[in-house]
Amino acid sequence: MSAPISPPTTERARRLRTKLKDAALGYAFLLPALVVFGVFAYYPLYRLVYYATHEQSRFRNRPPQWVGTEQLVDTLRSQDFIQGLTHSGLYMIYTVPLGLFLGVVLAVSTHRRLKGIKIFQTIFSSTVASSVAVASVVFYTLVNPEIGYFKDVAWLDLSNPSSALFAVSLSSVWQNLGLTFIVVLAALQAVPDEMIEAATLDGYGAVRRFFRITVPLISPALLFLAIVLVVVALQAYAQIEILTQGGPAGSTETLLFKIADPRGVRSLGERGSLSLGLFVLTAAVAGLQYSIMAKRVTYGD
Amino acid sequence: MSAVTFDGVTKKFGEVTAVDDFSLQIADGEFMVLLGPSGCGKSTALRMIAGLEEISSGILTIGERVINHIPPRDRDIAMVFQSYALYPHMTVAKNIESPLVANKNARVDAEERQRRVAAAAETLDLTAYLDRKPGELSGGQRQRVALARAIVRQPEVFLMDEPLSNLDAKLRTQTRLELVDLHRRLGTTIVYVTHDQVEAMTMADRIAVINDGRLQQVGPPQAVYERPANLFVASFIGSPPMNTIAGTLSLGNGPALVHTDVGVIAVGDHGDAVDELRVVAGVRPEHLLLTPPDDTALRATVENVELLGHERHVVCQVGGSLMTVRQPNDTPPPANGSQVGLVSDPVGVHLFDATTTERLN
Repeated sequence: MSAPISPPTTERARRLRTKLKDAALGYAFLLPALVVFGVFAYYPLYRLVYYATHEQSRFRNRPPQWVGTEQLVDTLRSQDFIQGLTHSGLYMIYTVPLGLFLGVVLAVSTHRRLKGIKIFQTIFSSTVASSVAVASVVFYTLVNPEIGYFKDVAWLDLSNPSSALFAVSLSSVWQNLGLTFIVVLAALQAVPDEMIEAATLDGYGAVRRFFRITVPLISPALLFLAIVLVVVALQAYAQIEILTQGGPAGSTETLLFKIADPRGVRSLGERGSLSLGLFVLTAAVAGLQYSIMAKRVTYGD
Repeated sequence: MSAVTFDGVTKKFGEVTAVDDFSLQIADGEFMVLLGPSGCGKSTALRMIAGLEEISSGILTIGERVINHIPPRDRDIAMVFQSYALYPHMTVAKNIESPLVANKNARVDAEERQRRVAAAAETLDLTAYLDRKPGELSGGQRQRVALARAIVRQPEVFLMDEPLSNLDAKLRTQTRLELVDLHRRLGTTIVYVTHDQVEAMTMADRIAVINDGRLQQVGPPQAVYERPANLFVASFIGSPPMNTIAGTLSLGNGPALVHTDVGVIAVGDHGDAVDELRVVAGVRPEHLLLTPPDDTALRATVENVELLGHERHVVCQVGGSLMTVRQPNDTPPPANGSQVGLVSDPVGVHLFDATTTERLN
């Protein structure tokens, strides 16, 4: 026996070692993202479920008691949740269609080669640079019931329970215009000139050309905006806090406002339950939107 | 009647003149190719026929109608774009049908539409693809859909803006044949823009050579090739390009001669040229012969020999510039660096005025 015969497992063992090393490297790269997700998304979600399923007595030195789904079900059946749901829903209905419509109108009107059009484009996209709080304060100066410029406009009255939610939602519409405008304008600019020229030569008039050719071609951007605007609407908080603090008579208390609970009227358990309700609502709405609209969206070549 | 006439048409973009006093008559049923380098104004001229560009001055007519201010949809034309411009969200059938449903006023009824779409698809071999979307088709198929969309409306004039540029070489050759065949079958006027002179030579009834917004020459391919009207046309048409050399014409007893720094060229017909005129002589590669160095020939050094199988191109250094000679491949090629003489067939010598670049003979 001259040369030692290497055992057949060495090759396999070496390959396995390489695979493990590759996997370890992969996980090492994922680790920062996993940590962030874990700390800021998964752990809070776990804590929410914890709060929803435990009752914290007013005597803070007593540990929370497990109550199962009892608290969750009670809260989700309460008037509080239904009212919050209704207000969030209305807020969504006020801000999303109007926001999309105005964004498209503004983008279409500034999508042309005119001298000085860039000034208008800058003005219309400017709200993307302001924070919600600042924009809300600015809006407040216009609709302030005592000294605001529009204080006498009935449907913008912040002190009237029937118009307050709409007035606050208008503030959101205005703030969202920057983002909506930029995204739609970018989508319009991506439509090839030759396609519009071909449509003109085919004989489409300007209006038909817009709805038959342009809109399908910008539909991915519109779907994106629809989903984003819905999520933003369901997360509206700062504008409500600044403009109405939830009043008058709770008429602007959206679900998120109730969860944030700035005046401390709800227990942690109730707020956890409300949060889970909002979570399910957001997921359901986004999913529904996507499944309905994604079929009609074309990703052209 | 579908003749297209440009009468002194000019197009300015601000200070820049893209098309300058352009006058051209395109006959009914003719395949007219607008040929020129990038930026020469040929596409602008085409887009003015389409109505996609405003005409700054001059008159443009189709048939008897002046179309300067008629909107594109009412001009009875169809255009095929370089990028095909198919609607990605519609099926092939809907794309082809598009011109028939777009204009509410001129809407064709459903049965007739079906018939025409089917006929167009049949003509261009697209019947199997009618339910697909453009994104699922190859480049050549998309181009045929663009053509089908153009023919379905049975227009007076077809406009084509470099439709073969986005195709690979083999497909280009095939599609050239199909386009010529289509023209023969339909008999409609076609105005075709390209920078590729091979396309122009093989497809056109007549070629209009354009440079810097001005019409340089118009005529059948062979005429433009054999008698270029100026130096630009001479060097643009023909591959390999025409060889040119500057010199002075001398007329005396015997044949006319052009005296250059590197030798003498005999000229057959010297046309209107006068004695002592500074000229540029042009000779096509097929009219040059390689000889041993001689007093009566141009002095040249062989730079490179390009073998093409059936023939070879001998590239020579003559004075400061390069000249190409086409030779059959039946004898051993000259060695690189060898000194040779170039003799031209006097009949094949073109004379151009050195200052005006216009043809003299």
